[in-house]
Amino acid sequence: MKPDRHTCRLALALVVSLAFCGWVLAQELNPETLLKPAADSWPTYHGDYSGQRHSRLTQITPANVTQLTLAWAFQTGQATQIKSTPILVNGTIYVTTPDNLWAIDARSARQRWRYTYPTNEGFHIGHRGVALYKDLVYLTTPDAHLLALDAKDGKVRWDVAIADSKKGYWSTNAPLLIRNHLLVGVSGDFDNLPGILKSIDPDTGTTQWTFYSTPPVGTPGDPSGGATGGQMWMTGTYDPQLNLFYVGTGNPTPTLNGKIRPGDNPWTCSIVALNPDTGKLVWGFQASPHDTHDWDAAEVPVLVDGNFNGAPRRMLLQASRNGYFFVLDRTNGTSLLTTPFATVNWASGLDKDGRPIPNPAKEPAPDGRLIAPNEAGATNYRSPSFDPGTGLFIVSAHDAYGIYFFKPEHGAYGWAGADYNVSGKGVLRAIDHQTGEVRWNHELGDGAPSAGVLTTDAGLIFTGDTAGNALALRTADGATLWHSGIGRVGNSPVTYELDGRQYLVIGGGSALYSFALPEHAIASGSAR
Amino acid sequence: MPFRLSLWRVTMRVTPALALCACIVIFAPQRPAAQGPAAQGPAGRGGGTAAGGPAPAGQRPGQGRGREGVSPASQRRPQTVTPQSYPAAQVQAGQRVFSAQCGFCHGRDATGGEGGTDLTRSTLVAEDVRGDKIGTVVRSGRVEKGMPAFHLSDADVAAIVAFIHDSKATAETLLGARRTVGASDLQTGNAEAGKRYFSGACARCHSPDRDLAGVAKRFEGLALLQRMLYPAAGRGGGAAPAPAQVTVTLASGQTVTGKLAYRDEFTITLTDASGWSRSWPTNQVTFTVNDPLQAHVDQLGKYTDDDMHNVLAYLQTLR
Repeated sequence: MKPDRHTCRLALALVVSLAFCGWVLAQELNPETLLKPAADSWPTYHGDYSGQRHSRLTQITPANVTQLTLAWAFQTGQATQIKSTPILVNGTIYVTTPDNLWAIDARSARQRWRYTYPTNEGFHIGHRGVALYKDLVYLTTPDAHLLALDAKDGKVRWDVAIADSKKGYWSTNAPLLIRNHLLVGVSGDFDNLPGILKSIDPDTGTTQWTFYSTPPVGTPGDPSGGATGGQMWMTGTYDPQLNLFYVGTGNPTPTLNGKIRPGDNPWTCSIVALNPDTGKLVWGFQASPHDTHDWDAAEVPVLVDGNFNGAPRRMLLQASRNGYFFVLDRTNGTSLLTTPFATVNWASGLDKDGRPIPNPAKEPAPDGRLIAPNEAGATNYRSPSFDPGTGLFIVSAHDAYGIYFFKPEHGAYGWAGADYNVSGKGVLRAIDHQTGEVRWNHELGDGAPSAGVLTTDAGLIFTGDTAGNALALRTADGATLWHSGIGRVGNSPVTYELDGRQYLVIGGGSALYSFALPEHAIASGSAR
Repeated sequence: MPFRLSLWRVTMRVTPALALCACIVIFAPQRPAAQGPAAQGPAGRGGGTAAGGPAPAGQRPGQGRGREGVSPASQRRPQTVTPQSYPAAQVQAGQRVFSAQCGFCHGRDATGGEGGTDLTRSTLVAEDVRGDKIGTVVRSGRVEKGMPAFHLSDADVAAIVAFIHDSKATAETLLGARRTVGASDLQTGNAEAGKRYFSGACARCHSPDRDLAGVAKRFEGLALLQRMLYPAAGRGGGAAPAPAQVTVTLASGQTVTGKLAYRDEFTITLTDASGWSRSWPTNQVTFTVNDPLQAHVDQLGKYTDDDMHNVLAYLQTLR
């Protein structure tokens, strides 16, 4: 049968639409790709599920890093410092500040679109970044909403409230996508509020489950000892084989008044392992039992596989805000190693489970207690990095002292006390994860650092100091190989390879900078 | 901005919001501690001065903040110079904008927070008339102290001004009911033991007859404690009394000495005797820094809490 014109047209339309579908799909994010992200992407906050913030890319090496040159700079035009990790998917970079999301062409640094959230009453302290799924990009807001925007043009597809901002919740969170679960956390330690993490259906915005790190007041069998808080404001990590999601929880509230909430106050200042399909707690480990110093254990739980003391282990590593470095068996949360990585004076020892024992004499008191670290912590949200080649865990540490006060008149709501930083300095530390020994220190300057850490297979570390220099160091010994005074780095750097060229993208002040080797040097092979 | 108490007597007009707060305050002392502050709404964040704040290297937190010798928490607030009243609706609008844009650093109720000063104790706020001073700071920022410029509408700035003045009036009625450290809280030390500790640990640089003569008249309470621990710490601590000195030796062999103005891994900057700043790449010169405050940093790891309270008790005898 000879096809008539109508059939031909239909066939042509089918071919065209199939081709179009294929093109559209190529622009979308398939959740399965997160199991093994491509070199031309940085598709989640940590780059992959492990939280190692380590790249296999090796075009930029210790030998040629001095040739790094500015590929582009993107000015947000805002006064707000960039604290977010830029996300790269299919040639588009997504970067945020509170209420703002920019989609930037990764090749030209031209703005594809910008979304600005309406004026709202939430806290505008910072923002960590977006998540993607299919053709949607997800943005949390200062008033604790979650928005799904069309990745093509930034149009809002849906908008749901994750928590009640009128009660004091807000969100800076970069959500984590695990298959069809979008895990979103909130903040809120100005008020006595239960710690909330939600799993959201990424297609519809409906809540699949809610995990409370401290149950709502009045919950029968509440183990938290009357504490609220434990907000999960940082992005967690995921082990696909164990199907466990790991996330750190924040400080208990009231924050400095520990007397009103006796006991360990689980699961505040903890690492918790959850089943992402049900939200059920599988295990928990408290980095700071009965915290009274605002030392969130929200820092990145880094997943590492390898031998530990001669036996193969699935490990979880965390350098916690309280100044201790933890190695856990992530199948069950048992401790393999606990050791201080910064100046600490608040614990009287370790218990049988590898948890620091808080010294009651170091709880905030009416006449003040001199405490190390201070409120800014021995580290904080800035990402550490694990270098598999050397086994070094690289963390931006802070050796610091503060004075902490509490008296009954300070009450039992929110902060419930007073504390003052005395002095501190930043030090990049390379920790041998097998022993906890510090292999080298690299001074970062006075005050608390704010830059996260990226390592690469070439033996390089990228980070920033407290003075406003982006730095490239040699992983083996911490020696400085390159620097650029781009302004204070407030985020954690990322790297990817696009069109045969490796880029380092790092925030300096309110601008995003991209560095690469000169094109002619790559083309001629001289950049070796 | 130097600290001074206004001689003008001021009466704030009582707005409805203030009247409500005053009613609550009347009952606050009778409440159990667990409920007191909650009844006044969300508590702001006390605490840190430089917590994660962008204090530039070379400028220590608190340096150059003025208000020499005044403990912010233990002193009376500077009184509002010019009485002003604002419509309740504008105050409420200001609360919304303030909470979102300013709250994390300055506290939701403007009494200070992570990195930001207590605005209800600010001399600038006390001297402000309908935003003539506050508005400039909001729009221009104080970048050197870590406060960015805010691009807000005139109406929003006016609302913030209304809210800050209202918060100041409210805070004045609270009189240190929460998150304050009074000098009376800090009287647990033993001055004799403190004197013995001082002679061992502090006397190498300090003397009760010379630099510390009358120190307790110049500083008290929290300000004295902060200054004792680290002389450039804290909002009330004032400028460091002894700036670090640096001597730079150039490739030619010439040496240049001055006050350390800036230092990072790559650049060293001093202010010479004529007041000019001069910088060199650190890899092209050699330099030695003499920072008298380093001894204070080293001492932080040696004090017990009793030592700290004892030395404070001893310093309080130097009147």
